[in-house]
Amino acid sequence: MWASGDELNAFLQVVYGFLHDISIAVYIGGAIAMEYVLGPAQSSIPPAQSQVMGQKTANRFLWLVWGSLGVIIVTAVLRLEGLGHISWSTSFLGDTMGLSKDYGLTVWVMLFLWCVLVANGLVMTFYLRPRLAGRLKAGTTTAGVQASMQVKMEAAKWVGRITKADIIIALVIALFGASLKWGGFIPSPF
Amino acid sequence: MDSAIDWLHAVGWSVHVGGAVTMEFILRYAQRTMPPSQVAEVCKRSGMRYRWFALAALLVVGATGGLMVLRLDDAELAARPGSPELSLGDAYGRTLLLLSLLWCGLVASVSAMAFWAHPAQRRRSSPGMTREEIQVERERVGRAIKIMDRILKSELILSVVALGVGASLSAGGLV
Repeated sequence: MWASGDELNAFLQVVYGFLHDISIAVYIGGAIAMEYVLGPAQSSIPPAQSQVMGQKTANRFLWLVWGSLGVIIVTAVLRLEGLGHISWSTSFLGDTMGLSKDYGLTVWVMLFLWCVLVANGLVMTFYLRPRLAGRLKAGTTTAGVQASMQVKMEAAKWVGRITKADIIIALVIALFGASLKWGGFIPSPF
Repeated sequence: MDSAIDWLHAVGWSVHVGGAVTMEFILRYAQRTMPPSQVAEVCKRSGMRYRWFALAALLVVGATGGLMVLRLDDAELAARPGSPELSLGDAYGRTLLLLSLLWCGLVASVSAMAFWAHPAQRRRSSPGMTREEIQVERERVGRAIKIMDRILKSELILSVVALGVGASLSAGGLV
């Protein structure tokens, strides 16, 4: 099917590029749509239904977030390998990937910011979401109901803050990514 | 400057594609357990914002895409794999043309949503309406929601295809 190994590699690079782009689009565009389109629409229905809708949309969105973050890092590594910046055969990092090069520094900063997104995702998935979804047991006192409501409101506030921070971080990563075509955005001080 | 244009282009696509994915795979999923009256309300509210987000994102994509093509020079193209040319005799030029057509299709579908399908969801009611008139109005709004769903689906498919076609430009084009 493929005339040469080079043609297959070129095709694979297109596939990796497509998957990388679509994952970034799902992450950034999804977060923006969740925050600025679905959020306001959710507040237009009765509170009980709004809470159910919020839980359903957030649970589904978290799947998209984790899928996107996973595909982004895998395809990023494969693209760097295809461009010759990293290699499986010789020393893993190529010359361009050092902190003394603008390109390398920009890639490392992008990786660090990706780790921040992963950390935020972990906080949302394993700390804040369970607090938002927590149900009251039969026989809970009025004080208990109020305390639970307070916990939920605080968690919802933090989910909003983290989502906004994630949007900004992802946009910064996209800016750095766009600059890689021109050799990197961050001038190396080393 | 080139980085900023590329970034805006990527953000435009991201807002559009990510928004379409969210509307299709998240909002539709959440609507399954909602009563029809609330589905209509959520559709109306989310569609009201989404249509302007999508249209603005597409305009940014079109403007920055045009700028990117204008700033291409022969030397830069020649340095790319396969030495692509900006002409219809070359896969690169044909792919760019296909991408432009896909963009036009997306603008047409989002415009149809913004100026026709979404406004049609507004329910007209007055105290003097008979039961039959109310039923007819409900059915009309139901049809408008279905049309909006179809437009959203076609928009999602078109935008994912456009992303794939765009990704192929780095390898010299697809067509």
